[in-house]
Amino acid sequence: MASLVPCPHCGARPKEEFTIRGAALARPFANADPAAWMDYVYLRDNPRGRYEEHWHHTAGCRRWLVVTRDTATHEIAASRDASLDTVGPDTAGGVRP
Amino acid sequence: MTPYRLSAGGLIDRRAPLSFTFDGRPLTGFAGDSLASALLANGRLLVGRSFKYHRPRGILTAGAAEPNALTTIGREGRTEANSRATMQELYAGLEARSQSRWPSLAFDIGALNGLFSPFLGAGFYYKTFMWPAPLWEKLYEPFIRKAAGLGTAAHVADPDAYEKCWAHCDLLVIGAGPAGLSAALTAGRAGARVVLVDEHAAAGGTLLSETARIGGRSAPDVVTQTMAELETLANVTILLRTTAFGWYDGNVFGAVERVQKHVRVPAVARPVERLWRIVARKALLATGAEERPLVFGGNDIPGVMMAVAMRTYLNRYGVAPGRQVAIFTTNDSGYALAADLEAQGITPVAIVDSREDAAPLYTGKARIVKGAVVSDAQGGKALSSITVLRNGQTETVKVDALAMAGGFSPIIHLACHRGGKPQWSDVQSAFLAPGDLIGLDLAGAVATTAGIAACLADGARKAAALLDEMSINATPASFGAVEGDIVSAPVRPLWTIPGVKGKAFVDFQNDVHRGDFDLAVQEGYGHVELAKRYTTNGMATDQGKLSNVNAIGLLAEARGLSPADVGTTTFRPFYTPVSFGALAGPHHGHDFQPVRRSPLHDWARRLGATFVETGLWYRSSFFPRAGETTWRESVDREVLNVRAHAGLCDVSMLGKIEICGHDAAEFLNRVYSNAFLKLPVGKARYGLMLREDGMIYDDGTTSRLSEHHYFMTTTTAYAAGVMNHLEFCAQVLWPDLDVRLASSTDQWAQMAIAGPKARLILQAIVDEDLSNDAFPFLAAREVSLFGGALHGRLFRISFSGELAYELAVPASYGESVAEALMEAGAPHGIQPYGVEALGVLRIEKGHVTHNEINGTATAADLGFGKMVSATKPDFIGKAMVGRPGLVDPDRAQLVGVLPLDPKTSFRTGSHILAHDAAATLENDQGYVTSSAYSPHVGSTIGLALVKRGASRHGETVTIWNGIRNEFTAGRLCDPVFVDPGNEKLHV
Amino acid sequence: MSDIRITPHITPRAALQGCTRLVSRAIRLEALPEGHIIHVLGKPGDTLPMAQLAAVSDGAPHAVRAAGPGQWFIVGDRAKTHFELADLFAALQPEAFGVDQSAGRVRIRASGPMVERMLAKGMAADLSLSRFPIGYATTTLIGHIAAHVTRVGEDAFEIMVLRGFAQSLWDHLARMSGEFLED
Repeated sequence: MASLVPCPHCGARPKEEFTIRGAALARPFANADPAAWMDYVYLRDNPRGRYEEHWHHTAGCRRWLVVTRDTATHEIAASRDASLDTVGPDTAGGVRP
Repeated sequence: MTPYRLSAGGLIDRRAPLSFTFDGRPLTGFAGDSLASALLANGRLLVGRSFKYHRPRGILTAGAAEPNALTTIGREGRTEANSRATMQELYAGLEARSQSRWPSLAFDIGALNGLFSPFLGAGFYYKTFMWPAPLWEKLYEPFIRKAAGLGTAAHVADPDAYEKCWAHCDLLVIGAGPAGLSAALTAGRAGARVVLVDEHAAAGGTLLSETARIGGRSAPDVVTQTMAELETLANVTILLRTTAFGWYDGNVFGAVERVQKHVRVPAVARPVERLWRIVARKALLATGAEERPLVFGGNDIPGVMMAVAMRTYLNRYGVAPGRQVAIFTTNDSGYALAADLEAQGITPVAIVDSREDAAPLYTGKARIVKGAVVSDAQGGKALSSITVLRNGQTETVKVDALAMAGGFSPIIHLACHRGGKPQWSDVQSAFLAPGDLIGLDLAGAVATTAGIAACLADGARKAAALLDEMSINATPASFGAVEGDIVSAPVRPLWTIPGVKGKAFVDFQNDVHRGDFDLAVQEGYGHVELAKRYTTNGMATDQGKLSNVNAIGLLAEARGLSPADVGTTTFRPFYTPVSFGALAGPHHGHDFQPVRRSPLHDWARRLGATFVETGLWYRSSFFPRAGETTWRESVDREVLNVRAHAGLCDVSMLGKIEICGHDAAEFLNRVYSNAFLKLPVGKARYGLMLREDGMIYDDGTTSRLSEHHYFMTTTTAYAAGVMNHLEFCAQVLWPDLDVRLASSTDQWAQMAIAGPKARLILQAIVDEDLSNDAFPFLAAREVSLFGGALHGRLFRISFSGELAYELAVPASYGESVAEALMEAGAPHGIQPYGVEALGVLRIEKGHVTHNEINGTATAADLGFGKMVSATKPDFIGKAMVGRPGLVDPDRAQLVGVLPLDPKTSFRTGSHILAHDAAATLENDQGYVTSSAYSPHVGSTIGLALVKRGASRHGETVTIWNGIRNEFTAGRLCDPVFVDPGNEKLHV
Repeated sequence: MSDIRITPHITPRAALQGCTRLVSRAIRLEALPEGHIIHVLGKPGDTLPMAQLAAVSDGAPHAVRAAGPGQWFIVGDRAKTHFELADLFAALQPEAFGVDQSAGRVRIRASGPMVERMLAKGMAADLSLSRFPIGYATTTLIGHIAAHVTRVGEDAFEIMVLRGFAQSLWDHLARMSGEFLED
């Protein structure tokens, strides 16, 4: 029915505005061990509980976010811009008070 | 006046009579009536037949939980089956029909099921109709479906509009009874943004049925005055006829507002229903409590009714439930009904109280039988008598109505929708809401608060507390002293009634009776979740609102446990049924999804294009001409014309991305597998994107328009995906690179001009020199058009294999420019061509699309091995592209396919077998990814992914279509059927 | 070189040219002129001086609108020539790049006392004046279509949508306005 995802730039928005990619993992170096690449491309922990995921605010500010979501309750503990941890909502939304 | 309508009283408007029909018979009620109260007022006790046994059923409740009085309302597209008569407002011209009966309500053949009922217990269908299996589909199921079932849906489209809406508030109050009204007033006066919802047409809840006086005013007057004040507050939104049906993540509540379900012909400009998504900072559940039925024999006979419902019909609607009324109670609440009946001159014939030690504050004249139960009720289509059992002695009492007061279950459904489990309370004999709710609190009877005064105070106090959490100061509203308040002590539950002889129903709607639970436990299905499925208790459209707690109590007693140990099944949305219309909102039919139109759409339409949906886009498929009778004729002509003269194709829907920034070159070098660092300004390059797993993701061209400005095109299908991917790379993987991205797909009308005459035609409108020297293959530049009247971007790239260009102009000028090109090209034989011809041209040239880039193909598989850089330090896909499985020489590779006999054909998806090999999985060599009739070759041609295909050119194979069981002799060949030397591209 | 030179009547065509404005006391819906829309691509995290952006705009109120971190739209009712655009892009350098979206996006103005209620039928964002003040701009879904929405007055919003979706969004807004057009 409905579910809101907090965007650090736009505020809470319905999940339909977002694209979810999956676990927020660090990309290995190109010359990393093949096992590290297998982990990155294929293997997921699938924990019950808090999980950091990459979400894209596709129909909004088009920023990639790191969303900390509880896989059991869907509770979202935090969301931040994947590259701009220091950018606050005031610079994104323009004049929002 | 009918025998059942009282001469005075109630909140109905006796000056406003309304005519309606029930099963075609004209009847009259009043404004303010529900369909149920109007039926009762007309003496219509028999309202429906039950689902399984086709037993006569009447009206059991006065609210949302009604399991029996389900009717079909309206006709044709406005037919609404399974409407609860208790929730349907009466309007002039309402047409209601009873359900589950044949041929008539009074005489029902299906009632024979009742005679066979000893055989129709729980699990009967599973056990009896198991064998022989073929008979299930042909005989048993159709028969059962015809005999059972509820209302029938209409087969014509609903003519009415539905819409969706969002709302935001500080405090959402669900339920406008005493607690809810008091909470809304408290919050509204404090200036908070308040949304108050109530499922009924009138606010007030139980206050509308109350005889108590509040601050010297009648309870309904207090409701009227409170609502009047709330309506003056701009910060309060009141949504009546609105059912909050679910609590969702982010403290969003779903609600459906029945905007025009109480009128015969809805106004066209407004929806009939509106689906609300209410985002609440805090919410207060003031949904009250549901009275529980008592499980005695014949408790479903018309005339047996819930005690609070009887009070509602009496006090709110001015309808007497009967003349000889008995009350069967387990607690003090039943005595309030006795007092109200006596006030209307109807002295109850008996009050049967299950408590030996009952000490009610009752001063009426009714005979009280303590320590007794009603073990059975008798009657056919109407109640005639009850059996009272006390100390082993039975007594038959003649009655025409019986009230059941089995205690109260808080209506906690919404509080459980996000995974919290209800908690059993031995003190309250009820399941209570989960304890650790966030953003939601409960007030009034749903929080086991008893009595009007306490509920008013509780609502105000809880609202003030929630507002305080949001730093909003509020003073709890007060309403003055309450006279005549009834504060019932918690009940001692009465699950298993002794001495029952008849069928004692637990779930009225699904016809589940007490014996079914005994059977379930006996057969090992005593777990609450198993018992639910085995008996189907709680699985009807009422979702067990009246039955679930009784079922749990009975299971607990049968298993020797506490209800706490039995537990509940899971509460899920929706609280009550929600129409598909409301859920779909405006998004159906033509508006199911938006349409994306090319800037050349109208140009193509004027030229007679046939359109095809590609994702949300409408693309011109082909342009039939007079005399052409099949699409193939048109497509063949378009293809041949491109190869012989020239064609114009709308490629505006290709994804287009502006890539700017000082590190744009490095960025492209990392997202493409081939080299991009040294692409000169003014040139385009074909690029291949891989996925991290090494497979191809997408292909396209990227042109360098200036030092730090690139322009990428993607396939139409992956336009959105590639943009998301590039943003991921730029923002997440390499935020240190200076690269900025903007989609410009809609900015440009883009036209492919292909064919030997393409240059001649384009030169007529392009100011710059287009000679091969000045504008060679893969040139990509901004150009001036029409003597500087317009500027565009020109790319010399080819999908067809012919001399070809793509010209992009601002979308608003697209039609004008396309018309100019057609005019300039007319002497040279230009024709428009669509995506069908485009597809044939690219297959003839051996160009791949996502038919070939299907997620299983590597660059090497498709002959692009050299486009995977061996020297770049990093790019997406580099790490995994060299995995053993991806470089296996046995991999499927791109190859062309031809039928040996040009008159024969094959289809895309067919499998390739070695010549004359048997059609088995082991012999599978690959499959045809694309195929088309090639007018250039003169036969069907195909592209295929075949094991070691690149080294098997010339091999005879069998092309097998397993679905049609067709075998075609074919030959593998070079996938390029036209101009393998690429000479045409460079002329 | 071809010897045929043609200079036909080259004219722009508005995406919503067939959509006449809808007006009542409660609501007003109208397509705005296809003037100019410049997508300014700054570096994410940059706060370009608004004065610099305003200086290259036509100076009308709300000509410069935020569009996510480091990005803005500069809009106006008058179409800019190729050379005016080139000058504007040059003026943004080196901090920002400009991309012409004048034909790629279409502006619709929705106004009137019922405008918040109308838009709430498609938009999840809280539209109350305190939460969505004048000048605030954001991209969000209206129904199934993403659009950039700017509040330009207490009862007025400008909605910017991809050209290909303009007709669908117009139809959707018209339907959402339906109940407020009966006066």
